[in-house]
Amino acid sequence: MKEPPLSTLRGFVTLHVTGPQVEKFINAVAEAGIVIWEVKPAGDGASLNLLLDDFFALRPLLKKTGCRMHVTARNGLPFRAARLWRRKLFAAGIFLFGVTLLLFCSMIWTIRVEGNKLIASDDILAAARQEGVYPYQWIWRMEDPDKLSKKLASRVPGISWVGVERTGTSITIQVVEADRPESKPLLSQRHLVSRTDAVVTEIYAEQGRPVVGIHSRVKKGQILISGALGDEENTQYVVAKGEVKGLVWHEYNIEVPLKTTSSSYTGERKDRTYLVLGDWAVQLWGYGKSGFDKSRTLTENNMLTWRSLQLPLGVMTEKELQVQYTSSVKTAEEARADGIARAKNDILARYGADSTIKSQKILHEKKDNGKVYMKVLFEVEEKIAEELPIVNN
Amino acid sequence: MTRIGRRLRGWTNGVLDLPQDVLQELPRITLIGNKELHIENHRGVLNFSSGQLTIALVNGSLEISGEGLMIRNILGQELAVEGIIGEIRYKGSEEKP
Repeated sequence: MKEPPLSTLRGFVTLHVTGPQVEKFINAVAEAGIVIWEVKPAGDGASLNLLLDDFFALRPLLKKTGCRMHVTARNGLPFRAARLWRRKLFAAGIFLFGVTLLLFCSMIWTIRVEGNKLIASDDILAAARQEGVYPYQWIWRMEDPDKLSKKLASRVPGISWVGVERTGTSITIQVVEADRPESKPLLSQRHLVSRTDAVVTEIYAEQGRPVVGIHSRVKKGQILISGALGDEENTQYVVAKGEVKGLVWHEYNIEVPLKTTSSSYTGERKDRTYLVLGDWAVQLWGYGKSGFDKSRTLTENNMLTWRSLQLPLGVMTEKELQVQYTSSVKTAEEARADGIARAKNDILARYGADSTIKSQKILHEKKDNGKVYMKVLFEVEEKIAEELPIVNN
Repeated sequence: MTRIGRRLRGWTNGVLDLPQDVLQELPRITLIGNKELHIENHRGVLNFSSGQLTIALVNGSLEISGEGLMIRNILGQELAVEGIIGEIRYKGSEEKP
C-alpha cells in the first residue's frame, strides 16, 4: 500500500517540514495514527504527503517538536472543486453544455414516412402531429409506439397497418395501405352502331335494347343496340353494351413478286475504334482493310457527358458487318398461296383476332412483269359494333 | 518482564516452534532486492537523510545506507523504505537471556 485508498478523492497535501528534529516529528505523527507517505529528505528538512483530513491535527505535533512546515502542493478533488468554484462561469458552461446535449438527445429531429403510394406523406404527418409526433417534440412526451401506431391507423383512412419505430432521435412511420377495389372507368351514355355495311349473324345485348335481328342487312352507322330505353315520352338513356357480329366482304388487290432478294449478315465483322476530340477522330484500334466485298457499317458514338453537358471528347466505334444477298424464285402457285396468307393475316390484324374467314374467292388473276396480280374477295365474320355517344341537347 | 517469564517464553518457543516475532517483540525485516525494505515492529525514526536512515528497534537500531532513500509510508508499527539500498547494519543491544 503506497497511499491510503481514494486519496485523490479525499484530497491530500504535500508538506515541507523543517526543524531541528524532523525525525521526532515523523515519529510523533506515526504514533498519533496519522498516515503519511512518500517521506523524502529535501533540503534541510523532509517533504511528505498527508491526507487533507489529518492536516489540522498536525498543529499540536508541530508545536511539540518545534518544527515548521509549509504546503508545497495541493492535490485531489476538494482542491479542484474549490478552484472550479472560483471560475463559476466556466463551470456553469460545462454544466450547461451537458444539459443541452442531454436535452437535444431527447428530442425528435426527423420523421420519415415509408411505404405509402396513394396516401400523401403530408396527410400521415398531419395525423401524427395530432397524436403528438412532430419534429422538436420531447421523446418522453410521446406515447408508446404500439399505442401510437394503433391511433394513427384509426386516424388515417385507407391504411391497414401502421408501424411506428424510434431509433435515437428519428422516427420512422411504416405504412401499409389497404387494397382498394379497382375503379371502373366512367362511361357516358351511348348507342352501339354498325361500323360498316354487313349482315348481322349474332347479336347479344348486355345493356340496352337490340334494334336489329339476325340475318338483317345493316348499313354503316345504323344503330344496332340502342341506349335509349322507354317510349318517346319517357326516355332514359343508358350505356349500351353488347357484342354484335356480322358478315362483311373485303376485296383485296394482291401483288406478289415471283423473284425475291433478301440480305442477311454472315456474322463476320470488323471493329474500328476512334478517339473523338471535337471534330477530329483518331483511330485507335482496327487498322487494316476488312476484305469484305459487300458490307454494311454501323457507327456508334459514346461521348463523355457531365450532368447534362456533352463534352467534345469520346469514343466512336465503327462496326463493319459482312452482308450476303440471296435470291429465290417462286412458282405461281406458291406466290398465290403467299399472297392469300398475307391478306388473311392483314384481316385478322385489322378486325380482331376472333374474326373468322367464312369463304374466299379469287375474282381475277394475272401474271405479268415477273409478278402475280390477284383480286380476292373474302367473306369474314367479325365484330361490327362501334360506340356512338348520345348527346343531349 | 521477569526473568522467569522470559525463560518460559524461550522454552515455549523451543517446544512449539513458533516464529520469534510473534512471541517476542522482535522486528521482522523484509528486503526486496535492493529496492524496498519493509520493517514491522519498529520504534520510530532516529536519523533521516537521503544517504542514511536509522530506525529504532525494540532492542537496538537498524542502520540503512544507500542512495535516494525515502520512507514510502509509515504507520504505527510498519515502515517501508524505498530507494537503492546499499548496506544494512543491525546494532543489537540485547541482554543475554
